[in-house]
Amino acid sequence: MRRQFVNDPGDVVAEALEGFAAAWPGHVRLNADPAYVVRARPASGKVAVVSGGGSGHEPLHVGFVGTGMLDAAVPGAVFTSPTAVQIRAASRAVDTGRGVLHVVKNYTGDVLNFRIAGELLADEGVESGIVLVDDDLATDTDDGPGRRGTAAAVVVEKVCGAAAERGADLAELTALGRRVAAGSRTLSVALAAGAHPGQSRPSFELPGDEVEFGVGIHGERARQRRAFGPSREIVPQMVSPLAEALGLGRGSRVLAVVNGLGATSDLELYGVFREARRVLKDAGVDVVRSLVGTYVTSLDMAGCSLTLVRADDEVLELWDAPVATPALTW
Amino acid sequence: MAEQLDIADVERWVLAFADAVEEEAGYLTDLDRRSGDGDFGSNMAAALRRSREAVAAAGSTAAGDPFQVLGETFLGHSGGTSGPLFGMWFREFGKAGAGAEAFTLEMLAGATANGWATVARLGSARVGDRTMVDAIAPASEALAEAVEGGLSLSEGLRSAAEAARVGADGTSGLLGRRGRTSYVGEAALGSPDPGAVAVALFYGAAREVAGA
Repeated sequence: MRRQFVNDPGDVVAEALEGFAAAWPGHVRLNADPAYVVRARPASGKVAVVSGGGSGHEPLHVGFVGTGMLDAAVPGAVFTSPTAVQIRAASRAVDTGRGVLHVVKNYTGDVLNFRIAGELLADEGVESGIVLVDDDLATDTDDGPGRRGTAAAVVVEKVCGAAAERGADLAELTALGRRVAAGSRTLSVALAAGAHPGQSRPSFELPGDEVEFGVGIHGERARQRRAFGPSREIVPQMVSPLAEALGLGRGSRVLAVVNGLGATSDLELYGVFREARRVLKDAGVDVVRSLVGTYVTSLDMAGCSLTLVRADDEVLELWDAPVATPALTW
Repeated sequence: MAEQLDIADVERWVLAFADAVEEEAGYLTDLDRRSGDGDFGSNMAAALRRSREAVAAAGSTAAGDPFQVLGETFLGHSGGTSGPLFGMWFREFGKAGAGAEAFTLEMLAGATANGWATVARLGSARVGDRTMVDAIAPASEALAEAVEGGLSLSEGLRSAAEAARVGADGTSGLLGRRGRTSYVGEAALGSPDPGAVAVALFYGAAREVAGA
């Protein structure tokens, strides 16, 4: 039996958005219907960077609205894409005449609704471009909709947000975002599934001696279960396939994100990062930047994801650029 | 019978379509349970309920306007996949009838062809993939033939409605390759695709309004 702080489950997203906007008045403004979040102080003369997706992954995406990152975020219902009308309204609201970059996690509904929004915007003379984030190595198969988008979205949004702030045009931003996405891979491991708002049972049950290996961020099962064990045994199983997929070797530089899936403590996440860094160091891979914390969640799932991103000087400089959002500030 | 569908006819068409979907909502949801996630009928019915009010409130001044309203309502209703595709489909009818007093058979044939292209492009769906395209494509071909052969509006719509129905029924024997139905494979065989059935209901409603 799982207990939650919920009124009517159908109101969870709207109520959370209202609370979020009230908690961050210096950073964001909420438009309630259609629902989207914009910066409190709109930017001018730059390409607008907009992202969105189903709710249940907080702080993604609304937590990344602010200077140096997103101009707007469009939240859908829990685990459901926002509508094309929502995306169009948010994009219109932040377009300064230089076009809108849509950062989209690769899920059928999100891709469809963002593509439709792009066509609706084109009819109104607003230019837009799409960067698809598809970093989940566990869904790297030849058929089907391709790799899912997960925590690399944070890196793509940060890097593109910084480049937009510096005046990059839409074509440059699209190319940059695609390059970062192409150089990103993620693997996620769950220790326990999350529960939908208002539901007392998690979306799947895991025996105490197993982990869900290669899990997604929508409460679905993974293709594999593996033995549970200490961090030093689980983390290398995540690092090695990622390093192989990205062709990392001696002298490679990466940005590493260790992300909590909703119910895993920072204490554990920093321990995971320590293990990941050690394994990478043994392989001669240099972790030049890192982000450790809870950024892309699957409701209250216990577990973590590890994202590695190939880092070059341009990506690092943009990563280091100032950012001021509710969930990420430096 | 009239050779054109004016604004009032189009509004009747939209309402007749909404009635038909509401009547069949349980059946559509049941079909979706076999091939998808079981919310198609209730989602369609909910979007159409909203559309009824929106169309009534809109005060249409052109034959395409009710479809424009229908399209916007569907595109703003839910962030799934079939709803938005229907939204873009209705939008093509809105575009075809923008600024026009009435739809001719030729305009309906053009809107159907463009709607087919739009849905196929956005949904990456081809004929035989067990989707709404399997009802749209035969309707489009029937309408093109009707225009070519100089058929009346009512004859053309009758032919399109019959072709869409046959196309929708035929999805019973198809394996899904797009959308959620692609995840369940053979389990969906024997029952038609709910999206294709809804398209058949759409042309059935047009036929009814045209008195064919």
